[in-house]
Amino acid sequence: MSDPVTASSQQARRILAPMLPAGTFYAVFFAAPMVCLFVLSFWTTKGFELIPGFTLANYVKIFTSPLHQALMRRTVGVAFVTTAIVVPAAFALAYCMRFVFERRGQFILQVVLLSLFSGYLVRIYAWRTILGKQGLLNSTLEWTGLIDAPLEFLIYSNIAVVITLGGLLLPLAVLPLYSAMLNVSRDYLEASRDLGAGRLHVLRTVLLPMVLPGLRTAFAFSFLLAAGDFVTPTLVGGSQNLLIGNVIADQFRGIGSNWPLGAAMAFVVVSVMLLSYLAVMRIIKWVTRW
Amino acid sequence: MATAVESRTFGTGKHSGKALRAAGQGRTIMDETVKTFLDARLNADVSRRRFVQGAAGLAAVTVLGLPGIAAAEGGKLGGELNFLGWDGENGANVAKPFLESNKIRMNASFQSAADEALTRFNTGGRGAMDILTPNKDFQTAILKSETELFQPLDLARIPTAAGLFPAFKDAPWLVKDGKTYGIPIIWGDEPCVYNPAKWDAMPQRYTDFADPKYKGQLVLLDDPFGNIWLWAKSLDMPEPNRLTADQLQKVLEAMLKAKPNVVTIGASHGDMADVLVRGDASIGIGGWAYQVLIAKEKGVELTVGSPTVDGTFFWSDSYAIAVDAPNLDNAYAYIDFMTKPESNAALATELASGCTVEAAFDLMKEDIRGMFPYENVRQPGGGILGTQIVVPPQDADGEVVGAAAWVEAWQTFKVS
Repeated sequence: MSDPVTASSQQARRILAPMLPAGTFYAVFFAAPMVCLFVLSFWTTKGFELIPGFTLANYVKIFTSPLHQALMRRTVGVAFVTTAIVVPAAFALAYCMRFVFERRGQFILQVVLLSLFSGYLVRIYAWRTILGKQGLLNSTLEWTGLIDAPLEFLIYSNIAVVITLGGLLLPLAVLPLYSAMLNVSRDYLEASRDLGAGRLHVLRTVLLPMVLPGLRTAFAFSFLLAAGDFVTPTLVGGSQNLLIGNVIADQFRGIGSNWPLGAAMAFVVVSVMLLSYLAVMRIIKWVTRW
Repeated sequence: MATAVESRTFGTGKHSGKALRAAGQGRTIMDETVKTFLDARLNADVSRRRFVQGAAGLAAVTVLGLPGIAAAEGGKLGGELNFLGWDGENGANVAKPFLESNKIRMNASFQSAADEALTRFNTGGRGAMDILTPNKDFQTAILKSETELFQPLDLARIPTAAGLFPAFKDAPWLVKDGKTYGIPIIWGDEPCVYNPAKWDAMPQRYTDFADPKYKGQLVLLDDPFGNIWLWAKSLDMPEPNRLTADQLQKVLEAMLKAKPNVVTIGASHGDMADVLVRGDASIGIGGWAYQVLIAKEKGVELTVGSPTVDGTFFWSDSYAIAVDAPNLDNAYAYIDFMTKPESNAALATELASGCTVEAAFDLMKEDIRGMFPYENVRQPGGGILGTQIVVPPQDADGEVVGAAAWVEAWQTFKVS
């Protein structure tokens, strides 16, 4: 009979060994820099010199500054609105791919992912071309006679930011949802209907709980990427384009930079986003059990 | 990016961007490869207020003359030369004859932000850096803060420096306590770039851009220091780069009056040009003359001009040598070679900028040299480049706020 301790350690090695390469990579290239950044967030600067020490001044500045509070609210707001559009759209698309156009699901997936073949900046500039004052959309609407003058709110606005982010993030949100739905047998849904459940009830109490991991991932992709993006608001957001990511980038830019403040901002943003994400996940779970 | 170029020249006459306003006059050819470089420069991070240069081969170089074997103490040339600066200012093609004949291998790396040289210097780069290319404002900030980065130059080892325009020979941003810390290589200005079909001229002052007639017509560059400086000058602040908290607040309020007229804030000069070409805005503030040429390529007529009372500001980049540079002889010889008229003309042409050597002026093509007001550099003491200090002090100085306050004010402007 084998020694239970030996068996246990052998099992641990079997589990941990495959994780070692990836774990080492993340430890060296993610965890270690994040720890350094966290330590930096408690330092100060004088001139161009970093002054090691321990002070909460950077965090106090962030939490007491009306500018940073406004930015945080705007960032979370834009991220939530984008996610509120992207995730349901991705869910509906994934549902159609899985249960409605089942045989063509993979083909539709390839079409959806086609946009990812082009560069990130290219896609943002494409949206700029579509939404611009003399862009594709305005030109078409004017040509059809539906409008007399360009719809200026379509570009250089928060609406433009949400539309562009939605276009960028939809393919990423569809992937995990479709993957999760592939594991859901149609029989469960049909059995629920046979037992008298309405469509909405089936959706909420049967399908949603079964695809919850995919939904979490889709939400995370949409929300966190939208909140952290600072290129899209720069290029299509207009004169009020600032999100918190832009401000963090400014802290590392050169004259006037403040690396400790930028580091503190980064961790505050990560914390706020994490709390928001956990809160929404709780709500979704509650909805499925209600 | 490369497209067929038209034959074009720009109106002769004044050495200023006004020459570019003459639409339809004869044009000289701009080389395809120069255009490639300049296109790459359009999309550089504007925090440098300059442009990333392309690194492709260039054919728009004037005659370089003989591969000069620059003076060096004891003739100790050869080996390595480390370069850290703006992409293109290493002058790979311009310096090639010099490097090859002296068997010097240049290790060039390029910065994306002004303070990257300082970061590298302080994080293990000291003793491994030779040539740096700071801009006027960064160099001013470093010399004023007494931060170690640039070493004083022995001008006896750079005899070609005697040929600089008067404004650059004793430029105040390069000289401290009688010692010179850099040799200027290129310069330029940042005018407004606008659509002449919509506007006959720019207003007298930047504060005039608050007029409702400019609604939906303005695009600004994402540059806190340049924009605040321009508005501070427009408000007749005695020292536009040294503002108290109250003065900065007044400047911010004046800028906010123009905010409703601002369509967007361009991340770079390239982005700004794109907005103007699309017609989403018709006036770019803090632009670059090259944007006119790019717009012309796309069938859009733009021109340059600045508010008649306020004018605009100027920039200049220099070659400097880092403290504890390991290849000092090579560094001096390189700078001396690059400051020869032929070399300076070639580099300025390559980078579509103003030349800093007086004799280089006649070697440059009219379409490039016509972009800049050379009368400003023919006067000693740095000329207007010397009197204009655009960057604020890094740290607060008594009642004068530091750079961080300017950055925050700019962010407040953008959020509002």
